[in-house]
Amino acid sequence: MTTTETEVKEETPPEEEEFDYSKVEEIIDSLPQKSRRHLIPVLQRIQGAYRFLPEEALEVLMEELRISRAEIYGVISFYPGLMITEPGKYILKVCIGTACFVKGCEIICNKVNEKYHIKVGETDENKLFTLQTASCMGNCGAAPILVVGDDFYGNLDPEETLSTLGSYEDKE
Amino acid sequence: MSIVAKKICNFKINDQEVTAPEGMPILDAAQRNGFSITNLCFNRKLKPFAACRTCMVEVKDDGKKELVYSCTHPVSEGIEVQINTQETDRYNNACLELLLVEHPLDCPICDKSGICPLQDNTEAMGIYDGRFEIKRRNEPSIKTNPIIEFYLNRCIMCGMCVRVCDETQGVQALDFHRRGYGVVIGTANEEPLDCEFCGQCITVCPTGALNDLTSQARGLAALFKNTYSTCNYCSWGCTVKLETKSGQLIRIEADETLGLGINDGNLCAKGRFGHGFVQSEKRLKVPMANVGGSFQEITWSEAIQTIAERLQSTVNRNGPAGVAGIASEKMTNEEAYLFQKLFRKSLGSNQVTNLQNIRAPYVNEFMQKCFDNGIESKPVTELENSDVVLIFNSDLPSEYPVGGNSVRKGVIFTGTDIILANPRKVIFKSEAQNQIELTFSVGSDMALANSLSKIIIDKKLVDLNKAQKAVPNYGDWVKSLDSYSSDQAQRLTGLSDDQLTKAAECFAKPADRYVLVGNDILENAQGESALNALLNLCILVHSGGEGSVSVYPPREHCNSQGVNDMGVTPQYLPGYKKIDKNSSAALAKAWGIEKLDLDQANHAESLFENCISGDIKALFISGEDPLTSYYKGSLVKDALKTVPFLIVQDSFMSPTAEMADIILPSCSFAEKDGTFTNMTRHIQPIREAVLPEGSARPEFDVLQELAEALGKPFNAGSIEEVQKEIEDVVPEYKGAFKGKGSPQWKPSQTGSNPGFAISEDYKEPKEQKGFPFRLITNNHMFHIGNYTQHCDALNTVSGEQSVQINRKDAQTQKIATGDKVKVESKNHSTVLTAEVNGVSAPGTVYIAKNWVEHSINLFRNGEEGYVPVKISKAE
Repeated sequence: MTTTETEVKEETPPEEEEFDYSKVEEIIDSLPQKSRRHLIPVLQRIQGAYRFLPEEALEVLMEELRISRAEIYGVISFYPGLMITEPGKYILKVCIGTACFVKGCEIICNKVNEKYHIKVGETDENKLFTLQTASCMGNCGAAPILVVGDDFYGNLDPEETLSTLGSYEDKE
Repeated sequence: MSIVAKKICNFKINDQEVTAPEGMPILDAAQRNGFSITNLCFNRKLKPFAACRTCMVEVKDDGKKELVYSCTHPVSEGIEVQINTQETDRYNNACLELLLVEHPLDCPICDKSGICPLQDNTEAMGIYDGRFEIKRRNEPSIKTNPIIEFYLNRCIMCGMCVRVCDETQGVQALDFHRRGYGVVIGTANEEPLDCEFCGQCITVCPTGALNDLTSQARGLAALFKNTYSTCNYCSWGCTVKLETKSGQLIRIEADETLGLGINDGNLCAKGRFGHGFVQSEKRLKVPMANVGGSFQEITWSEAIQTIAERLQSTVNRNGPAGVAGIASEKMTNEEAYLFQKLFRKSLGSNQVTNLQNIRAPYVNEFMQKCFDNGIESKPVTELENSDVVLIFNSDLPSEYPVGGNSVRKGVIFTGTDIILANPRKVIFKSEAQNQIELTFSVGSDMALANSLSKIIIDKKLVDLNKAQKAVPNYGDWVKSLDSYSSDQAQRLTGLSDDQLTKAAECFAKPADRYVLVGNDILENAQGESALNALLNLCILVHSGGEGSVSVYPPREHCNSQGVNDMGVTPQYLPGYKKIDKNSSAALAKAWGIEKLDLDQANHAESLFENCISGDIKALFISGEDPLTSYYKGSLVKDALKTVPFLIVQDSFMSPTAEMADIILPSCSFAEKDGTFTNMTRHIQPIREAVLPEGSARPEFDVLQELAEALGKPFNAGSIEEVQKEIEDVVPEYKGAFKGKGSPQWKPSQTGSNPGFAISEDYKEPKEQKGFPFRLITNNHMFHIGNYTQHCDALNTVSGEQSVQINRKDAQTQKIATGDKVKVESKNHSTVLTAEVNGVSAPGTVYIAKNWVEHSINLFRNGEEGYVPVKISKAE
């Protein structure tokens, strides 16, 4: 490494869409002070704005808060909620708490995998669904539970998983 | 010491009365008092972390018993500490046992075996049969970079590498990833490590999870032969441990033993990984003579005989001033001393010098003026206790990386404030609460220092009456600063009034101050005046302010200070004695001759010009390659072409050696004994670790033989005898050669002749038509020009030479990183790869020197200062 400052991407290839820096800049500008103390809330807000943590935004963050790559990714790798790749349009959260486990959450995951070929943490080809698990939603009476985007499905018959998801495919 | 003294506490460890400064962790205090406590994650250079949980002790405070972790618990008055009680052993043992569940115990092939704290602690606690089932990890080793191997199976998650990388080096290349059960140490997204390659992580790793890939052997470091020596690269003077096995130099390591050397167990990339040249295939192995344009091997006796005859005949024909010598800034003190003795005693010539002295004779004067004003400067080991550090025109992580380590330690443990003044926007990462960055206009060094002085005076930030009484020409000097009004200061330096005032206030406040001056200042056309302006600033706070100020002259190589101390300059005899009747007589007495009759000519001051003019007929260059390293390359070329007889002594073939009549192979620092004096005047030993390559010989022996062949042998033969003679001739060196310490020599007289150095007015750099950019150049983090180019490890990490261009300039010229760019001066042009960033100021380009392929010194054509150049995209 030479004594250069952290590189900001010099130019984007013309075929790619220009990255929208305004959102990340706005988030950083709104900080009370530019300090690594604010790292986690800033990451959450960037993810809120871009749906995930794009490399370009992180590079701006590294330069502004003077945090190294290793440190920033060290934090991100701890929180499953922070994503560095773009998720599907809907995030599927399958509860794997004790009650949901007994009521067949594994079948739900298998069904999803059969049709969309995604395992936990992965996104399907059409960027529609990203499969995640949740440890307990706190509503065990409604087990098994599946959350699709913002929609909540309790007492789901695991066999009906695919038809439930099918309605989201139709919306496209 | 910082001006804020720490309270000393009295307390007991194992019923024994001990003392330690308030706030020091119990573990550190115990170690300093000779007690040992089990621990794996404590390092006194780093902030306490308490990861390993194996250092529990019992503390009684006011009769109340507590079990605490000694690495984080500070000492306080009257506490009673008990180490290794039954209870603490139970806890500490359990944690060690748990670590051994995963640790592979592949000790016979581990680099740390024998010096491993995990081994030592296990042994000390007698844990031979753990209670738990063994469950080893089996991850492959990671070798994605050429220098540092990650073998994470051995990792015990102490976090030392992560912390040293962040706190000591300011790089943060490593961190914990996937925290939780699967936690590992590594880089972001497992990318290949791209860092400063200082290797501190290897030193601090307690278990061999990080390994040095440049090492020629694996395992059992404890069985290698260790030779303590001093690094042969920059002028900081780090103590290194040369590790050899079967006559091979295996690797170089740092040693963190308290009080050893001045570097606190820190090294940089060059010092640690730059050992490949020592036993390189390309070393010069035999003496050679130039016969009709090609080099032919000759014997040592032929070589010595020929040189002696030619030197003698030149003296006979042209007088003693016809022979001249350049001594390397990498010679030992003993060799440098003999070098000037050969010329002065055996040849009667005063024409000895070194490259820095030819370029900037004012650096020695700067040091003298500091002493005259009573600025003695403290040992550099105190740098970590300073309150304010002014880093003036130095890219510290590249120029003196280990200096940067000390400054960062000061920031953490003393709360040091940093003022970073540089024409480039260089990065110095630290946790300083107050880091003032002054990115001033190129060339305005002098204006900046004068402006700071002016602000201190105008705002009465120091006691001006005291300063006026202490320094006779105070009034004249203050008058000379009249032109630096606030507006003018802002215009010249490009800094705001606010920035300048903040810096002045920080520097003038009661404090122990250190000023680290970079060699970049010599690039300035008014280098001498710039140094004087800085000196005046120091005199002002020294005489009028509270606390202290330490300032060292800029030096580039490992013994740049020593060669000057030893009198390898035409201006001074050894010990900076003016050449007059008295000192010549004293020297003659020491040398056992009746009279020292030196020539009165002064050819060495403008040595290369005098080679061209024909005044110098024979030139002896020992261990330098001025064609590449002297700042005016084309001048040297003409000089070496003209001079009738040229002797070059070096370890490698170089462009300079290729022009020689006789080449003598010399030993590297690892093949000889002697001492180096660093820029902060610490005298430190170098020791022979391996046998010389081929028939290479230390300059020390060669100079002795030359003196004999000239019929005027030296009266001191061995290194010890020469050291004794140096102690007699240079009283400042008395006692410096004994023992294992790193003594700093003190001037025999200080404060005898105070006075501000009033110098010429600041001249704004002139524009040169058609060449709108200024070329800035300095040593690179991985290359310093003496032999680093022969170290494969450094070459692989440094990549190719590049030209750094500011973003704005790059945009107007349509240049992007990676493009080929033609850089042209009036004299020279070359094509380099562009590196576009915000470090170089607009209107400047930066090229690191010391790559052999592109000699930066050829850009210069006689002029001083920053060379005007133009850049264009190459096709």
